[in-house]
Amino acid sequence: MGPLYKFGWFDFSYSLQLAGLIGFMFGFVLERAGFGNPRKLTAIFYLRDFAVLKVMFTAIIVCMLGLLYFSLFGWIDLGRVYLLPTFIWPQIVGGLVLGIGFVMGGYCPTTSVVATVSGKLDGLVFIIGMMIGSVFFAEVFPMLKGFYTSGDMGAIRLTDVFNINSGIIAFLVCIVAVGAYWFVEKVEQKFGDKDMLPKGSPKVKRTAAGLLILLGLILAVVNPDRIIAKPATSEIQTEEGVEAVQKPAATSEKPDSTGFKIVDDEGC
Amino acid sequence: MKERYSNPYVIGVILGLVLLFSFYTMGRGLGSSASFARIATAGVNLVAPEHAKANAYLSNYLRRGKSPLVDWLVFLTMGAALGGLFSAFISNRIKGEVARGPFIGVSIRLWLALGGGILSGFAARMARGCTSGQALTGAAELAFGSWVFMLCIFAGAYATAYFFRKEWL
Repeated sequence: MGPLYKFGWFDFSYSLQLAGLIGFMFGFVLERAGFGNPRKLTAIFYLRDFAVLKVMFTAIIVCMLGLLYFSLFGWIDLGRVYLLPTFIWPQIVGGLVLGIGFVMGGYCPTTSVVATVSGKLDGLVFIIGMMIGSVFFAEVFPMLKGFYTSGDMGAIRLTDVFNINSGIIAFLVCIVAVGAYWFVEKVEQKFGDKDMLPKGSPKVKRTAAGLLILLGLILAVVNPDRIIAKPATSEIQTEEGVEAVQKPAATSEKPDSTGFKIVDDEGC
Repeated sequence: MKERYSNPYVIGVILGLVLLFSFYTMGRGLGSSASFARIATAGVNLVAPEHAKANAYLSNYLRRGKSPLVDWLVFLTMGAALGGLFSAFISNRIKGEVARGPFIGVSIRLWLALGGGILSGFAARMARGCTSGQALTGAAELAFGSWVFMLCIFAGAYATAYFFRKEWL
C-alpha cells in the first residue's frame, strides 16, 4: 500500500535516487511539450496556443482520478499523502506576482531549468533572478512574517470548502476540463497559427472526453470518501501524527524563535 | 522557430502519471522553486555563514547541520535538468540563444528575464510553492489554496500580458 516511503519501503538515500528519476521524467516531458521555449509558454497569454493549460489541466485530472481510484482500491492511504496547507492571502498575492513574473520572464521555475539545459541564456538569467528573489524574500521576511502566516485555513480541500464529497468534486472538475478544452480550442482556431497547433482527430478527442466524464461519474456515484475507512476530515489531521511516528527527528527539534518552520514535505 | 512539439494532451497524461507515481512512492508531489532557494542559501552560507544562520527564513534550510542541498527537491530538479537535456538532445533542440520575439533586443530581454526571475523567486517563497509544487501538486489533491493560487497565476499573467507583448509576439 502506498505511499511506499511512508510505510518504510525504502530509506532517505534511496528516496533521493527516486527523486532524480522522477525529476528526469518531469524534465523530459516538459521539454517534449516545448516548455523550454518561452514563446511557446507565453503564447497562452496572447490566446494563440493553450498548450500550458492543456498539459497542466490534463496532468491534474489524471493524477486526481488516479489518487481517488487508488484510494478506492485500497492501494494508497491518502491520509499519509502530504496535503498542502492553505494560507489564502499569501497564496493569492504570490499567485498574482508569480503570474507577472511568468509573462515578464517567460518561464515558471521548472521550465526555466529545461530552457537552460537546452542552451537558452535567458533561462539561466531567470534562474539567477529566482535565487536573488528567494534571498530577497528571506531578507525582508521579518517584515512579511505576519502576512506570510495570514489566512491560515489549515490543510483543507475543495471538498471541505464546498462541503461536497470528493467524488462529485472530481466529476465536476472533469466536466469543467472538457468544457475548457473545447473552449480554448475554439479560441486557438481564431487567434493561433493553424500550422503550429496540434492536430488531433475529433473522434479520438470525443472518445477521450467521454471516458473522462465516465470516470468522473463513476467516482461521483461510488463516493470514495464513504468507502475509505477514514472520513475526509480526519484524513487531513492525521498528517502530523503520521509525521511524528515516521520521522521522530523532524518533530523533536525545538521550534525556532520565530515560531515557524518549513516542513520537510513542503512543496516546490 | 517553427518547431513541432508533442501533443499537449498526451504530455498531460504522462505528466499526470509521473505525478501519481511520485505520490504513490513518496507521498508527495513535484516541485522545484525551493531547490533554488536552497542553492541560494548554500551560497549565502558559504559567503556569510553567520548571516545565513541569523536569518529567520534561511536558517530553516540549515537545520540539522546538514547541507541545504541534501534534499528531495534539489535532487528532483537535478533530474529535471538531465531529463530536459536528454529530450532536447534527441530532438536536436540544444542551441545557444536568447529566446525572444522578433522585435526585442537581447539586452532588454535578459533584463526582463532577470526581473521575471526575481518576481517569481519572491512569489514562490511567499506562496509556499510555484506552478509545479503548489499549483500542479496541490490541485491534483484538490487542495483549496492551490486552486486559488493557480487561478491567481493566470489572473496576474493575463492582466499584465499586454505590457509585455513586444517581448513575445
